[in-house]
Amino acid sequence: MAIAAPEQLNITEIPAWGSRSVDCFEKLEQIGEGTYGQVYMAREIKTGEIVALKKIRMDNEREGFPITAIREIKILKKLHHENVIKLKEIVTSTGPEKDEPPAPDGNKYRGGIYMVFEYMDHDLTGLADRPGMRFSVAQIKCYMRQLLTGLHYCHVNQVLHRDIKGSNLLIDNEGNLKLADFGLARSFSSDHNANLTNRVITLWYRPPELLLGTTKYGPAVDMWSVGCIFAELLNGKPVFPGKDEPEQLNKIFDICGTPSEEIWPGVSKIPWYNNFKPSRVIKRRLREHFRHFDRHALDLLDKMLTLDPSQRISAKDALDAEYFWTDPLPCDPKSLPKYESSHEFQTKKKRQQQRQHEENSKRQKQQHNQQHSRLPPIQQSGHAHAQMRVGQNPPAHGGQPQVAGVPGHHYGKPRPSAGPGRYPPGGNPSGNYNHPNRGQGSGGYGTGPCPPQGRAPPYGSSSMPGAAPRGPNYPHGAPPYGTSAAGRGSSNIMSGNRNQQYNWQQ
Amino acid sequence: MLSGASGGDRQHHQLRLTEPSSYDSSTTPRVLTVLSCVLEKLVARNDQLSGGSGGKSLSAFHGVRSPAIGLDKYVERIYKYTSCSPSCFVVAFVYIDRLLHRYPDSLVVSLNVHRLLVTSVMIASKILDDEHYNNAFYARVGGVSNPELNKLELELLFLLDFNVTVSSRVFESYCQHLEKEMLCNGISERLPAPGITISVDDVTEIPVEDPQTPPSILVDL
Repeated sequence: MAIAAPEQLNITEIPAWGSRSVDCFEKLEQIGEGTYGQVYMAREIKTGEIVALKKIRMDNEREGFPITAIREIKILKKLHHENVIKLKEIVTSTGPEKDEPPAPDGNKYRGGIYMVFEYMDHDLTGLADRPGMRFSVAQIKCYMRQLLTGLHYCHVNQVLHRDIKGSNLLIDNEGNLKLADFGLARSFSSDHNANLTNRVITLWYRPPELLLGTTKYGPAVDMWSVGCIFAELLNGKPVFPGKDEPEQLNKIFDICGTPSEEIWPGVSKIPWYNNFKPSRVIKRRLREHFRHFDRHALDLLDKMLTLDPSQRISAKDALDAEYFWTDPLPCDPKSLPKYESSHEFQTKKKRQQQRQHEENSKRQKQQHNQQHSRLPPIQQSGHAHAQMRVGQNPPAHGGQPQVAGVPGHHYGKPRPSAGPGRYPPGGNPSGNYNHPNRGQGSGGYGTGPCPPQGRAPPYGSSSMPGAAPRGPNYPHGAPPYGTSAAGRGSSNIMSGNRNQQYNWQQ
Repeated sequence: MLSGASGGDRQHHQLRLTEPSSYDSSTTPRVLTVLSCVLEKLVARNDQLSGGSGGKSLSAFHGVRSPAIGLDKYVERIYKYTSCSPSCFVVAFVYIDRLLHRYPDSLVVSLNVHRLLVTSVMIASKILDDEHYNNAFYARVGGVSNPELNKLELELLFLLDFNVTVSSRVFESYCQHLEKEMLCNGISERLPAPGITISVDDVTEIPVEDPQTPPSILVDL
């Protein structure tokens, strides 16, 4: 980043990115959809290489090029590591593409920018949600070690990811795990003096210090998320599935104990501490709660889910934990089973047909049934382009189950906010790994309605007509789903409305 | 490392980078004056050298006529209405400098300097400031259309190859450079004394999301 002297300039490198057209790639199929834009699996024509194309939506003219995209691009340009997704280049399209309507205002820049990523087959959430999926201990260690290695690399390079969660951890068929989606990431300085926004990280994975409103934080925020994922892998379901911030904190306190100046010096100075001050003291009972975990796993988890961020274990120290050095050792990624690709053309076709049906019946229902208004969807999002996308992504709910478990969504999930509650309230967006009933008749891709016996979502009851819009959960008006978030979140919505859902399914 | 900007703030009092972002003419950060001076000098020289052509790489930023508004007023206008942090101007300067190094055929001339400025300050603000105005607002402040500014934004991002990160070390060195310019050129003496500067004749507060607020400038950019 030094100021380049003219004589040092590598002229041949110019113009590196943006010089090629998206026409260099042949789109194979859409594999993700979010407010950010669509994600396609594509083949580079010249080399035959398979890539993921993430389209950057440019249809909000007033905002210009999305800041999240600028951030993601500039950060990924700096990061080169086997456990961090590789941004290969940026390509543009010169005119309207055949798969989209021409821009009404003739703005040729609209929708014309794509990020080209290496292609990854799965994401951790999608993989874990597959029916009958059961990770071995060595496999969990293997994934955890890769996650920590990638994160350690980010932290050493002074980058905070700020949205670590299963759907942002991509896995290929070689067993490699890579961190993806750096739209919320940012650089940090080690002095921790900068004021940073506390509205980051998907609610369930958000650490207590952010929930309490701190604006000075560091890499420890990512480590909390890692702890949540670790526990989720061992536990088979999300450990802190809060539906809003207060509930999220309560769920954390319930297991990790309530904070106090003794265990967390300075906690009472955090901005919202007094608003959320627990009414009664709860003792930390993490070890009892997860007593069925293996001892070394529990030791490590205990250090990750430490309330005080300054005492929380770092990625580097976590890699040195006994857990990774005792039998069974983490396996070699290459030895992991290869899971069937989830991108069959047929799957997609089916999905599209279903979308069509759902769209139609949804429209009808919306006309007749106010109940739908509580569903989170795009229509409520306040995004300028939301309406435009109804056709492609009708679902807000209807279509989501189809997307569930489809890998690739991570490339294109909704961005504007990782604000509280990407997931619908309701608590348990399907974290039922290994749930015996999960996905019956539907496959991991969620082509069917979710299991009726899914845990009862607090809000999922169809007896809540026209339930209140869940404003507080979407502070920035971001639709909560998009892709994987959607996939996961959809289950309770579905179960709450499954009659209607069945009607939609053909 | 963007947060480097804050590190710079603490050490560059002369540039008044730490001034509150709310506009107050008596405390216009010196960095604005220094920056417009440096650019003015550059433009004057380049206009003579090149006959007004800024080179092929910057053609998107090229206007038909040079705008009537002086650079000092233009910079001040951007600062006043957008309330961006003063550091954005240093970072904008870094971007423009990177551009010139990357494309040796390009020159900052009177026909492109305004567009270059508003675009680079806008990008800097997007990156540095957690709260920033959108492109539509910057377009009104800068006197260009929203679609054009969007186009220029993309153009600049690609020209920079998305190299929009400014480490604290680089930030520091540019601050030092600007301070040196300030001392060499006696810019500080030319600064209006506090209190008797341009009166704040119109709005002092800009409601967010109201594009109507900054009066349009017709500068034929």
